[in-house]
Amino acid sequence: MDARDHYLAAEIQEALARDPRLAELHLDVTVVSGAVHISGEVATEERRAAVLELLRERFADRDVHCHVTVTQTEGPQAPEAIA
Amino acid sequence: MIRVAAVGDVHYGEDSAGRLLPMLRDVHEHADVLLLAGDLTRRGTVTEVEVLAREIAQVQVPVIGVLGNHDHEADQPAGVRAAMEDAGVAMLEGEATTVTRDGTTLGVAGVKGFGGGFAGASGSSFGEPEMKLFMATTERSAGELAGALEAVAGADVRIALMHYSPVPDTLQGERLEIYPFLGSYLLCEPVDRLGADLVLHGHAHRGREKGVTPGGIAVRNVAEPVLRHAYAVYELGG
Repeated sequence: MDARDHYLAAEIQEALARDPRLAELHLDVTVVSGAVHISGEVATEERRAAVLELLRERFADRDVHCHVTVTQTEGPQAPEAIA
Repeated sequence: MIRVAAVGDVHYGEDSAGRLLPMLRDVHEHADVLLLAGDLTRRGTVTEVEVLAREIAQVQVPVIGVLGNHDHEADQPAGVRAAMEDAGVAMLEGEATTVTRDGTTLGVAGVKGFGGGFAGASGSSFGEPEMKLFMATTERSAGELAGALEAVAGADVRIALMHYSPVPDTLQGERLEIYPFLGSYLLCEPVDRLGADLVLHGHAHRGREKGVTPGGIAVRNVAEPVLRHAYAVYELGG
């Protein structure tokens, strides 16, 4: 991996964790030849929008591809008997 | 038999109002008790947890919870805990509580836990003071879990509830490099030594639900992103 790609991925990952609008520790960030790819899931549509906002604010000059989705939660899981 | 609903990592914030409410209102139709495996909030502010507390207050079965690492981010863990307690939740940190339904007593021992890694690939209390403090945090938590399990030794069914994982099984899907930040075998040792019927944890969003301790006790990772359901339901003591 190119050193600039390497440190940019780390910088974005840290920004996602530290930004108080996000506190997202569970997103994947990869950078290949300067192109940024972010994937993973967040809990709400507002948080997905906040990811995009952060990227616009701080990494507007980058080629960013955001594949983040909102977790879809269904009703209760079928019961499991624990022996 | 007692039916236990469980979920972790709901990560409530100001934008979460109503997200799980329809499912929480109906818990009593599916379970006798609801367990929350930490990371109640996104950043651990009282404002965030109050959104969840308002919804939890509508749950019609006993609710028992532990905090997670996110609930510490804003340095307000006591406020987060108090807000949940005001909503009627029994919050555990090195403590235990019981719930009795139809003659079956469930004992729940709870801690947040901490990291360190797993047997053969664990950090050691060695070297710099910071490293010793890191491992001492996990060792203290494991000791408190042991005390809590002993406090409910007479219960018909016992559950160890924590946020961090006691086993690597339920972490599969996470990157191996971060396992030491996801849990510790030290949290598992008291469970195998003192006995329990089930261990519940969260924290590992990309892990898998089912695992087992080296001593053969069922472990379930109930992080909401793993379950993709509002909660899991486990039947014990049947």
